[in-house]
Amino acid sequence: MGPEMLQKKLEEEVESYKKIQKDLSKTTNLRSQLDGQLNENKVVQEELDLIDDESVVFKLIGPALIRQDLEEARQNVNKRVEYITQEIKRHDNTMDKLEKDADAKRESIGMLQQQMQQMIRKQMGK
Amino acid sequence: MHEVAESCAQPSESAVRERGAASYPTKELQFFNESLQQLKIAQLKFNESGECVEKVTPETKGKEMLVPLTSCMYVPGTIADAESLLIDVGTGYYLERNVNGAKDYFNRKIKFVTEQMEKIQKIASEKSKLREVVMDMMEVKLDHQLAAIQQQQAEAEAVKAKAAAADGM
Repeated sequence: MGPEMLQKKLEEEVESYKKIQKDLSKTTNLRSQLDGQLNENKVVQEELDLIDDESVVFKLIGPALIRQDLEEARQNVNKRVEYITQEIKRHDNTMDKLEKDADAKRESIGMLQQQMQQMIRKQMGK
Repeated sequence: MHEVAESCAQPSESAVRERGAASYPTKELQFFNESLQQLKIAQLKFNESGECVEKVTPETKGKEMLVPLTSCMYVPGTIADAESLLIDVGTGYYLERNVNGAKDYFNRKIKFVTEQMEKIQKIASEKSKLREVVMDMMEVKLDHQLAAIQQQQAEAEAVKAKAAAADGM
């Protein structure tokens, strides 16, 4: 492989490594957002479980407070907590995958750099 | 008419999680300090609301009050119901609770936030200790390097001086 080819390949690898890093930070941000939402929903869930069954519950829809059935509200929040937990799991999986990809890329970049150095040393030796 | 005790700020436990935080101790510390600040604000809000609830007694019923329409415009009104309060528990849900229930709610919230703050404070102080250790190490290494460079320079000067002296002879 000629030096130009090697150089080009290295650049490509670095480019895709950068892309993976970007994706990773995006997923991390999304994940922490989900974490916040999950906590908020969990707090609401706790509150809804604590109150008596004949308590009055309202939901803010747009600018108006709408009276809601307590059981319905509980189910709603439970479903949301479930959904967000699933989403978090999904994001964790993508993050693991991206991290693995990043590791692999880093290794191949290191290999390419070594090859470059060897080539340079050979040429210097000539 | 219901009095709405608002509590918009939601403490997030994500602050305690390290994942997603910057990997550098300084940035991490910043993150923790920001979280602490936010928790402090939440605590203040709950405290304020809790104090407001204390003012609502059966005697308040029928009293006049000014209802804010905007932050600078009010209309007069009378309190029709001094027993039940509406509490914002987050994600758009509002619960109707009596005075005691509301008090209980705010006390619980304050306790929760305080616990979270203590957790973060502990982690933050550990982090800052770690940072200090790293900084000390860096200083020592830098000193070593600087000393080595100076010695090299001094040796080079000495060699040069010797050579000059030899030339002069």
